[in-house]
Amino acid sequence: MTRAVVPPRPPEPDGPRQVSKFEFNLLRILRFMVGHFPADQGMQLVRAAVNRPECLSAGAVDLIKDTLGKACILFLVRQGAWRNDKYLRENNPTPGRVWERIPLEERSLMFSRPVLEFLLWATAEKVNDTKAAWDAAPKALTPADELFFWLAFDATRTDPDLLAALRKKDAFRLNPLCWATFPGDMVEGDEITPPNFSPMFEGQRAVLLECLQPHLMHRWIRSERMKGQMGDWKKMRQQGRAEFAALQAFLKAAAEAKRTDLARFVLRTNAALFTSEMTPVFWTGGLQGSGPPRLADRLDTQRSALAVPRQMDILEGWQNAALNIGYFDEGYQASQMWKADWEAVNGNRVAARARATVEMLEPLRGPVGGPPAANPAAAPNDNPEGSPG
Amino acid sequence: MSRAYRITVKESDTRHLKAGDEICTQLEILEILPPEDMATLLKEELKKRGFEEQDDGTMLRKDGELTVKIDPCSGEVSVKAETEETINQEAKRDATGFNDVGPSEKSLRDRVKDQLKSDLDKKFEQEQSRLQTKATEKLEKHLQELQPEISEVVNQVTRDALKQKAQQMGTVKEISEDAESGSLTIKVEV
Repeated sequence: MTRAVVPPRPPEPDGPRQVSKFEFNLLRILRFMVGHFPADQGMQLVRAAVNRPECLSAGAVDLIKDTLGKACILFLVRQGAWRNDKYLRENNPTPGRVWERIPLEERSLMFSRPVLEFLLWATAEKVNDTKAAWDAAPKALTPADELFFWLAFDATRTDPDLLAALRKKDAFRLNPLCWATFPGDMVEGDEITPPNFSPMFEGQRAVLLECLQPHLMHRWIRSERMKGQMGDWKKMRQQGRAEFAALQAFLKAAAEAKRTDLARFVLRTNAALFTSEMTPVFWTGGLQGSGPPRLADRLDTQRSALAVPRQMDILEGWQNAALNIGYFDEGYQASQMWKADWEAVNGNRVAARARATVEMLEPLRGPVGGPPAANPAAAPNDNPEGSPG
Repeated sequence: MSRAYRITVKESDTRHLKAGDEICTQLEILEILPPEDMATLLKEELKKRGFEEQDDGTMLRKDGELTVKIDPCSGEVSVKAETEETINQEAKRDATGFNDVGPSEKSLRDRVKDQLKSDLDKKFEQEQSRLQTKATEKLEKHLQELQPEISEVVNQVTRDALKQKAQQMGTVKEISEDAESGSLTIKVEV
């Protein structure tokens, strides 16, 4: 992401830098969190405790800075920054790769103290079982810090103990990137309070979101496909409700910020899912047993499972609004870009298919005298062709 | 000399148990006329089918333990099933004690009573679960019966709305309806 001006670099030492055992562990944990070190070994280091030194050596600090800068930039470039894409800039579509669209000062990542403190804590303590408190106030975090904490959470969340320990901390619990990617992992009970997504659509956070569009799309497609193998009703309900709440809040913030282009991943996820007619069984086919005794709870679980297709209503509303914007109206260029995105994925057909699928779950719908439109308890038995159930 | 004795404790309890289930959904009412006109048509059609208007403007019909409530303005439908029963449960337990060692008769009796209490709670839980199943089954059955009626209501409202719309557009020359296919043809002279 930095091509225009190359920052001055300190001279490289002749051989490998000397670091202590603690610093060596810290660097390996950092590399694990940015995806450059085997996950199994990284997890072991995070779950282990090492005596913390009073300070880090200058060489270790240089290596941390170097790893953070290079790894995060490499990640963003690989995930989508390299693409010659088009995004809104001051309400006008701007084409090009991210380093062509965005000036250097807006895309220079600045990591602050909480990142280093987190790394020291994660190295010194058993993250899953520690009494030493660590947390970072979300307001004090820079966009780059949020990106790092998102990567760290993603790397560790496969371990249930680490997931439970980290999601209690504000640095992760209120991280909008975490909520936009895996909301199901951000909640513990029925209480769902997504963070404020508005800052994500401003400044550098918006640039990060532009880079992550393809990544987010792939993550959501994978998550939707995995739902077909989910057997636990309670887990499905919890995940679906979190996803619904997070996506609703995200889309609302995108519309308010007039950055509908940053919700492209939601549209494209739906387009990838609805390449043909679908039934709710694609999502709910794996649910085991008859589920909760109350029909209301069963229906709520099944509705929750379809959190992503249910967002097409909002996107269709955006499309209708875009169709009504005239040449001399404000936001004409942005609306043209949204229409182009919509047409590129055949949005009308995707929306119709998504609506039909969502309505299949609704009771009291269907032709007169025909079979009941939705008997949610019976639905999991009817597996259509190509469904995972 | 140690002598064994057996005590038998019986407990009974009567509880009033309630169970309910409810689903909410949305009617598919096409916007042929302005929303308030569509709501009026829906209200009239529902009145014909035994629904009563409530103070808050919603239409309500009670079919035994089932309640169907429709909001004509938003098209929201809620169908609720409730069951309640007064249930009496009994539990009995025996315990053996010794007059020289072990707990005294009083403490033994208290312990058995505590066990009986938890036995009764379990029995009531089972009854509660049975009532819940009953309410849910009732709701599921009623939904199947209600669906054709709701579809007919929606179709009737759509037909009435189309006729009114046609009248607004010009002079209605001819209206032909085919009940079998559900088609409605209106010829309008504008």
